[in-house]
Amino acid sequence: MTNKMIEAENLTKTYKKTVKAVDHISFSVKEGELFGFIGPNGAGKTTTIKMLTTLASITNGTALVAGYDVCKDPAAVRENIGIVPQELTADDELKGAENLLLSAKLHHVPKDTARKKMKELLELLELEGAAQRQVKTYSGGMRRRLQLAMGLIHGPKILFLDEPTLGLDIQTRQNMWTYIRDLNREKGITVFMTTHYLEEADSLCDRIAIIDNGTIKLSGSPADLKGKLGGTILTIQLGNGADISTALWGIQDVTEVTKEGETYKIKLARTETALPAIVEMVTKKGLKLFDIALTKPTLDQVFLQITGNTMRDGATNGNAYGQRVLIERLK
Amino acid sequence: MFNDTLALTVRSLKKWVRNPAAIMPGLFMAVFWLALFGSSFNPLNLVPSQIGGTTLSPVLVQQIKSAMSSTFGGAANYITFLTAGVIVFTVIINMAYGGIDIVLDRQLGYLNSLLTSPISRASIFFSGAMQNFVKAMFVAVLTFVVALLLPNGLQVGAGFGILNFLGVFTAFALVTFGFGCLFSAVAFSVKVVDSLIAIINFLAFPLVFMSSAMFPLGTFPSWLKGIAEINPVTKAADTARLLIVNGNLSSSQLSTLSGNMLYLVVFAVVLAAIGYLIARRALKAE
Repeated sequence: MTNKMIEAENLTKTYKKTVKAVDHISFSVKEGELFGFIGPNGAGKTTTIKMLTTLASITNGTALVAGYDVCKDPAAVRENIGIVPQELTADDELKGAENLLLSAKLHHVPKDTARKKMKELLELLELEGAAQRQVKTYSGGMRRRLQLAMGLIHGPKILFLDEPTLGLDIQTRQNMWTYIRDLNREKGITVFMTTHYLEEADSLCDRIAIIDNGTIKLSGSPADLKGKLGGTILTIQLGNGADISTALWGIQDVTEVTKEGETYKIKLARTETALPAIVEMVTKKGLKLFDIALTKPTLDQVFLQITGNTMRDGATNGNAYGQRVLIERLK
Repeated sequence: MFNDTLALTVRSLKKWVRNPAAIMPGLFMAVFWLALFGSSFNPLNLVPSQIGGTTLSPVLVQQIKSAMSSTFGGAANYITFLTAGVIVFTVIINMAYGGIDIVLDRQLGYLNSLLTSPISRASIFFSGAMQNFVKAMFVAVLTFVVALLLPNGLQVGAGFGILNFLGVFTAFALVTFGFGCLFSAVAFSVKVVDSLIAIINFLAFPLVFMSSAMFPLGTFPSWLKGIAEINPVTKAADTARLLIVNGNLSSSQLSTLSGNMLYLVVFAVVLAAIGYLIARRALKAE
């Protein structure tokens, strides 16, 4: 018995023998986990989802989803997965409820069960009032929620979310996060999601893998990854030329000190003890603090360290974009 | 598989019914062909009553006219001849352009959501063909009604009854279904609408002009006639005309009718199979 919902080994996708969209990636997702793939556009996230959901063939390697081999038993995989694609695929002319019931029908869910499940999902996603309205009257956030419901109506074991909050405003995005978190925590649905928003992965995922240029650069829990940066960074600026480096090194939980002119960057293992001690030391020496700032490590910094690119650079990176266009053309 | 095909067909038809304007272009085309093109031309008016000041014998004129009329399958006027041809032309064009919905489903990601659900690929293909078929047949029936309503329009033969009507529409249905499968398969195989339109124009117009849809084969050069005779468009149009012009069929006409129908059944089945094979290839994992 395995409790792994996804097991990918050396998964590789090459388009037309030349373009490696995904290059020998291995990872696994446990039952009940919320697992995130993060990386810039063209990194290989969507291609990976396509392979795991039977849309793209696998050039090399193997993938088991819900215990079934994606290549050998695609039909069984399709029975067990729910997908919320980047595109909004609900029909504008159909009502919300009609879209949901059609999704259920295509997954061979009995009518009664489908209706019950629909009621439950509409309630959970706060769409009850809109169910009997045509989708063309929906707002962007409602469409995303309906899409989420369509991916869940047949009670899948694993939910694939491809960029679930793309193009949503901040408030709607945070609502989506709550829904996704609830589905995972309360309903126990395993979630595999891709995103290029680091704060999204940070806020939602139990574990993440950072993917760039088709390979996994690093994986672990967001806290682990941030921990690898060595804790919080305190930046202080003094105005009167005294060098306090030695004194700083003497304080407990200070792990690194770098000085640039009057500005010190100090890595702290434990903020709550080190910060008051530093302030006290500076005051005792009769020095004046011109500026003080505390930076918690973000996934952005993790990403920067690993790929040499920030996500924002990556997102507009000419090569990544070129890669996507190339793949589209080669298909 | 049947239930899935039905569910998807119903989905497309619901969208269609809620946006009835979508049917107008196809219907306009048929009406213009009949009312404008059809009314402007009547071959019987080409027979002169006098040549160089000499009046022709009315008996001779009548003989020429009836000979010409028989070239046109015995039709009372050109619209009567043309109706069957225009309907076949219309369903082919409607079906070809109906493929645009299929291409859009791919572009909007809807097709992917079908491909990742546990339904057979055959359901995806046949629902594409079926929804297209139903829409085209609806336009066909409307066109037939319009032809009947036109002044000096479609004149059915004495004894034209419900069986004739059903026979006419069986012929249309078979040719529509066959081409529906072909065009849907093409639509599943292309990625953008532009390619679809290029292929439609390349296929649809020769199909119609190399047939008896607009003019009787008697006027065709022999090379074209050879092709036109085996063209399913010809078979469908001629079969429909046979039933429209003649209310009650003679036994030789009945045997022509059953031969043509058999031909059309085989055509529909073969194109459904070919269409499915093409579509299955197009729906495979990329």
